Amino acid sequence: MNSVLVIQSLISGIMMGMIYALLGVGFSLTWGVMHVINIAHATFGLLGAYLAYSLLQRFGVDPIFSAAASAPLLFLAACAVYRLLIRPIAQAREVVVASMILTFGLAIILENVMVLLWKADPRVLTPVYASGALIVGPFYFQYPHLVGFGLSIVGISAIYLFLKKTYTGMAVRAAWQQPDAARLYGVNLYRISMITFALAVSTAGAGGISLALLYSFEPHSHNLWLIYLFLVVIVGGVGNVAGVALAGLIIGVITGLSMAFLPYQWVNIVTFGLLMIFLIFRPHGIFSQGV
Amino acid sequence: MKKQAIKRRGALLLVAAAMCGFMLLGPALASSAEKPVVLGGSLPLTGEYAETGQWIERGMRFWADEINAKGGLLGRSVEFKIYDDQSNVGKAVTFAEKAITVDKVDLLFGGYPGTAARAVMPVAEKHKFVYVSMGGHMKSFEQGYTYSFGAPPLMGEWWYEGFFQWLATLPASERPKRAAVYTINNPVGLSLQDSINRWTKELGIQVVINEKYNSPLADATSLIVKAKQMNCDIIMSNGFFPDGVTTMKAAKALDYNPKAIVQGIGSVVPAWVKELGQDGDNVFSGTSLYNKLNYPGNDKLNAYVKKTFNIDGYPLYFGFGYAWMQALEQGVAGAKSLDQTKIRDWLKSHEIATIAGPMKFDKRGLPAPINFCTQIINGKVELIWPKNVRTKEPVYPKPAWKK
Amino acid sequence: MHKRFRIVLAIILLLLASFPGFRPEVYYLSFMFSIFMYVILATSWNFIGGYAGYLSFGHAAFFGIGAFATAKAAVFFGLTPLFTILASIPAGALAAAVALIIGYPCLKIRGPYFSVVTLCFAFVVELAVKNIEFLGGAEGIWLKFMDIPEQISRTILYEVMLLLMVVTLSVAGWLHRSRFGAGLAAIRADEEVAETMAIPTARLKMQAFALSAFFPGIAGGLFAYYLTYIHADVVFNINISILIVLMAMFGGGGTWLGPIVGAVILTFVNEGLSTFAQAEIARILYGALFIVVTIFMPNGILDFFRLRKGRKI
Repeated sequence: MNSVLVIQSLISGIMMGMIYALLGVGFSLTWGVMHVINIAHATFGLLGAYLAYSLLQRFGVDPIFSAAASAPLLFLAACAVYRLLIRPIAQAREVVVASMILTFGLAIILENVMVLLWKADPRVLTPVYASGALIVGPFYFQYPHLVGFGLSIVGISAIYLFLKKTYTGMAVRAAWQQPDAARLYGVNLYRISMITFALAVSTAGAGGISLALLYSFEPHSHNLWLIYLFLVVIVGGVGNVAGVALAGLIIGVITGLSMAFLPYQWVNIVTFGLLMIFLIFRPHGIFSQGV
Repeated sequence: MKKQAIKRRGALLLVAAAMCGFMLLGPALASSAEKPVVLGGSLPLTGEYAETGQWIERGMRFWADEINAKGGLLGRSVEFKIYDDQSNVGKAVTFAEKAITVDKVDLLFGGYPGTAARAVMPVAEKHKFVYVSMGGHMKSFEQGYTYSFGAPPLMGEWWYEGFFQWLATLPASERPKRAAVYTINNPVGLSLQDSINRWTKELGIQVVINEKYNSPLADATSLIVKAKQMNCDIIMSNGFFPDGVTTMKAAKALDYNPKAIVQGIGSVVPAWVKELGQDGDNVFSGTSLYNKLNYPGNDKLNAYVKKTFNIDGYPLYFGFGYAWMQALEQGVAGAKSLDQTKIRDWLKSHEIATIAGPMKFDKRGLPAPINFCTQIINGKVELIWPKNVRTKEPVYPKPAWKK
Repeated sequence: MHKRFRIVLAIILLLLASFPGFRPEVYYLSFMFSIFMYVILATSWNFIGGYAGYLSFGHAAFFGIGAFATAKAAVFFGLTPLFTILASIPAGALAAAVALIIGYPCLKIRGPYFSVVTLCFAFVVELAVKNIEFLGGAEGIWLKFMDIPEQISRTILYEVMLLLMVVTLSVAGWLHRSRFGAGLAAIRADEEVAETMAIPTARLKMQAFALSAFFPGIAGGLFAYYLTYIHADVVFNINISILIVLMAMFGGGGTWLGPIVGAVILTFVNEGLSTFAQAEIARILYGALFIVVTIFMPNGILDFFRLRKGRKI
């Protein structure tokens, strides 16, 4: 095979994988820290995408700004969701399952609200750089991919630094690893949980917008995006931010290499198959534990 | 505690019983004042295929309003019972059965997508109900059903006929020589392959790349790189809207300039032109009907969608909904009855007129092969083949991408 | 209590079995058919999901394997209606065999990762079927339908699915009261402790997994014959996998009655809403149902009603 094809596939594959990781980081965080499987995470991402689309069409606002703007909006919305919907089930015997069922219902509601607001027509985000590329030698770095990749690096780093360096972030990690001890130290578990959830969902907007830079979307797309989220979680480990980023990289590399070497018919099955095998041999994701 | 539990259990049972009761009695509670003609069935109004399902519904309702204003069908007004099958094939089947056996509708209408049509066709056959739909490509019409009609069908096997027929009129030196063929791995894609295999042989086009891909298409970069590296001067992207968009965006970003780009069924939805704008231009495709055809009715539909949705020219699936209703209408009017077998026999022995042109159905319920070819020129879908219905001269070879 | 419950059950089953005798419209037979099917799917899933605590997110894979195996056999061997229906049994066995093979490495994985690996597995199976003509192909498979009046063919499938449901529920009932079931519950409670108590956890998990695949496989075969056309997108659909999990846990996992309650309620509600409300509103109400029930009954419906004081049903 020729190296240009391989390297080019790797380039776009890696950028794509990191974009999945951006949407996945919030999903992984809620699952790992709060044991809440937020099926509606991808739907929140879609909301971000629709927001960016509307702002772009009406006012010519670039998706990068929308990505930043969506964060506080989704943060507030997520706080409300947490108070009204998640808090009541946080003490359930099987939080994981209860959260799954509840957020499943939430996702259906959000999807159909989006249909009512934006109709079911598919949309494409077309900022000025929509179909351009940075050309380096024989290689093309498509601008939408680059922007999404950039957003991803920024977003994931922000979350990572927040958790490692800030007081609230450390409280989050403490609450997750040692909830009773954290309580003893005066950490308000309720507030911490709410902040964690809201933070995770706030990244969904940027994640959804990055995905929308790659693909067309419509209200039902969250169903497909959810699958990407699960993929990222397999490899990265639940609750592991650095793991999620690495997962994006790995998924990107696998996809890129498969697209370069295999008949396309087999790319998806190889990706899923390899990830399955990966999980069988490393059942907790790349790193054992740790946020 | 136990009393409470029993009370709660009783309440739950009562609610459940009430729900069952409603479901069973619902149809019986319908008034029987002046009996309208009821058309029943399901459409994907929510879920994956919602966009298409909604357009079909709009086309159907427009037909209903029109015919009711003219006095109705057989002197009775027309009404719909449209179920939402949530883009689920199993539900499409049960709702078809519900419409036929419980609601006892007078006529059954067809839905979307092809897999649902494939599953509903046997139901219609077993209940001896005329079923006009887009069908599920050629294989579905070769199962020996007598009650199914494609009026018109969405026939993958015919989809590219027009394009290749037009290509054949070009002198051999101008035609493309090396083809990159990328096909989605599902019934639609597979049905498109048939004509590609035949025609590329006949026109001396070497199929250098012939690959299938499964949905979703995560990245089209390597597809385009391969096509470029192997000097393919024509690319056929035989898929739907999402993968079509991914492919086109990659083609432009990577500055791939073949002589022609042919796309499957994604480029015929209004969103293609609306969302992609210039980047969606010059793409060839097929169609089953077209809003600029000279057949009676087309201007009425165009005026309606312009007024209601501010679109130029009615979308394909709006046309489908309307045309299928036209076929049913003429079948009923011609047979002068709502007897399904009489309608079927009348349709199989008479020519009907639709917005897609006149149709005469064969034993399988199919009209003569449709050979329209479309090209998107300056943000509008134009007909370029057959020559006598051409609305604009085709743009060939494809000009460079507009940055 | 126990005896009274058995009598009520017997009466219900008798009513269900004789229902076709009242010559109801075909639609009602189909509707009940799908309810039986989902009860079977949810109850079977519950063996590995609710009892053992291993939440499989890819159970549609077994349903699909059963469907395609039956369809392929019917077409390849030109089977008569009777044998097509019977072919669903070896198809179910095939699904169980696949479960054993995949269970061996996968059941070593715990918690959420097990869920995700089973999700992956479902996709791998679906893609394999689509890519390999021998397994089914991407075109789908047509089955010849029975050359008898629709009322009768639907009745036959109705009774067969009812029979399968009775068998599945009997097995579930047996499991609930047996040491097997107790072992699974111990695994769910704390697997390490269970191992120290000399419970053969690996063996039990594999058996539960295979059992949980067997009945859905048969149901898949019957479903294929009911539709007479199957396609990978239809029988391997991720929504089926998710719905099964929801039905079982919504009703109450780890209980015998839970999956039944969940399957029946959700199917009725979905159908009812679609009939009486505008499409998007119906879906919004459906979603709201999940939220409301989960908030007020976070451990499932059964737990909330506490049907049997102290003793879990």
